[in-house]
Amino acid sequence: MGAVLGLTNRLGALNAALLTFGRRLGAGFVGLMVLIILLQVFFRYLLDSALAWPEEASRFLMMWMTGLMAPTAFRRGGFVSIGILTRLLPRVASAVLALFLLGLSLVVMIMGLRIGWSEVTGLGGRFTTDSLHYPTTFDFSTWAKVPKSWMMLSLVVGLVLLISVCVELMLRNLITLAGRQEQLLMIPEAAIGGAE
Amino acid sequence: MLSLFLPLFLILLLVGLPVFFGLIAAPAILLWLNGQERDIVLLYRNVYNGMDSFPLMAIPFFMLAGEVMNRSNITLRLVEFSQAMMGHLRGGLAHVNVLSSMLFAGLSGSAVADVSALGSMLIPAMEKQGYTRSFAAAITAASSIIGPIIPPSGIMIIYAYVMGESVAALFLAGIVPGILMGGGLMLMIHFLADRYNLPAATRRATWGERGNASLKAIWPLLTPVIIMGGILGGIFTPTEAAAVAVGYATLIGLFVMRTLRLSDLPDVLTRAGMTSAVVLLLVGAAMAFKTVASLSHTPELLASIILGLSDNPLILLFLINLLLFVVGMFLDAGPAIIILGPILGPIFTSLGVDSVHFAIIMAVNLTVGLLTPPMGLVLFVTSSVSGLRVETIARATLPFLAVEIFVIFLITYFPAISLTVPRFFGFVQ
Repeated sequence: MGAVLGLTNRLGALNAALLTFGRRLGAGFVGLMVLIILLQVFFRYLLDSALAWPEEASRFLMMWMTGLMAPTAFRRGGFVSIGILTRLLPRVASAVLALFLLGLSLVVMIMGLRIGWSEVTGLGGRFTTDSLHYPTTFDFSTWAKVPKSWMMLSLVVGLVLLISVCVELMLRNLITLAGRQEQLLMIPEAAIGGAE
Repeated sequence: MLSLFLPLFLILLLVGLPVFFGLIAAPAILLWLNGQERDIVLLYRNVYNGMDSFPLMAIPFFMLAGEVMNRSNITLRLVEFSQAMMGHLRGGLAHVNVLSSMLFAGLSGSAVADVSALGSMLIPAMEKQGYTRSFAAAITAASSIIGPIIPPSGIMIIYAYVMGESVAALFLAGIVPGILMGGGLMLMIHFLADRYNLPAATRRATWGERGNASLKAIWPLLTPVIIMGGILGGIFTPTEAAAVAVGYATLIGLFVMRTLRLSDLPDVLTRAGMTSAVVLLLVGAAMAFKTVASLSHTPELLASIILGLSDNPLILLFLINLLLFVVGMFLDAGPAIIILGPILGPIFTSLGVDSVHFAIIMAVNLTVGLLTPPMGLVLFVTSSVSGLRVETIARATLPFLAVEIFVIFLITYFPAISLTVPRFFGFVQ
């Protein structure tokens, strides 16, 4: 069990580092989304000359924000669920049930990852976005359209992070079953709330 | 076989599987058992395409606007304004609590943000004035329910997106029900004044003091005017209006009120982003769920069962209110709308109930569910803000809950309450 504990805490530290990076990037994306839409409002209503790219660019950022930030919410217990049964059950039974639910979630995520990757590398990913471009030379003289796969990758990256978190949470449940939960690294709780 | 996805989903939900995974797992398992593996790919595409939406971006923006306003202490200005207007009445601070919630609802559209912002300020202040802490917590929790009803509203955006309704129509339809809810709570405070021995009236504010408080609160109070005025005037889309609300709140927080610091922004952006990410995933999964629901003919099946109970829409609306109330006891409003909207909406519109009217019935009923145990999100937040047990607060909210249930039935049986304003603006025929 000592090896499992060590593995759990090491995976926990890795997840914490990755998710901190993801959160920071995601927070930056939220700010950028606001700025881009405000810029569009300025151009459309004050200069009467709407820009072509803000809507797609902000959607691009929103998808990445979701992929990068949702795993933190999952790790902190922020995914909405009816937790009455797990709370009513004794500690061991509750941990077994939680393990089963995490296992089922893991299957869903692995299935999603498999499909997601084939979508990114498949025909759909080869199309390009309508209005987003990136420079192909350092002097910005030539530009190419951003492939859709760059945007589709957001959900795949999100799923990879979610799987990593799910494995960590499953290992944590095993440690809890063994009664050594006090030796686990702390995970902060998510702030309560949703669209409500 | 595919029609079994709903019972399977309910079982997975009840054993505690997160709603997001349940929305995907239930149809996926049945598709797999049905030998339709290729359709599971469509499920994935529906999740992705469901999230990739410009109108949906209003959700993170309105959440961010609420966070910025909270951090800027704009709440304090609203409370001072409410105090100047209603503080002299018997049970003055309780009335102030309700009025502040109604004003805050016009800024943030979130019951949880309302409880966190107003509760931490008003519950100790009310206790100091002689109210019991349970009463103060109860009225804070009960009045916060107005948050998602008066526009802007996160759950209305979700409903509009999932069901293909107009966000502006739903925003407008929520105005009168929200005011009715606030008025009803104030009436109840008036009736309870003797029973709870609420503190007697304090000095009435002079017109000068009221003018001063109004002037201080004018900046935050202009937010709903900008949002709704911009949307109705055809100046902004709801998403742009939400971004403008963020920009406006940030500017007044940083430069007018000077209560917001640049160093506050990373935390504010992170909180808004994280909450939105979860909501967006849920909405994406709901779009996949909705597709499977229509493919499996579940709404038609349920419609025949429901219509077998009675062919009188009034009785059916009563029954559906009971169902929504029970669902609201176990599930938050957003996920409940995501799950039930695509199933129940078509049934009732086919019975002749206006789709906007039904949206408001669902949204208000499920929002009141935030106040009911065992899974009342607002109760949990109020408990953490007030330090009281959830059961204590739940018991103390009963008179206010009765008012809110009464308002739900008023909204249900008098469609004009929700439809008059959107009809006036041409959103409803």
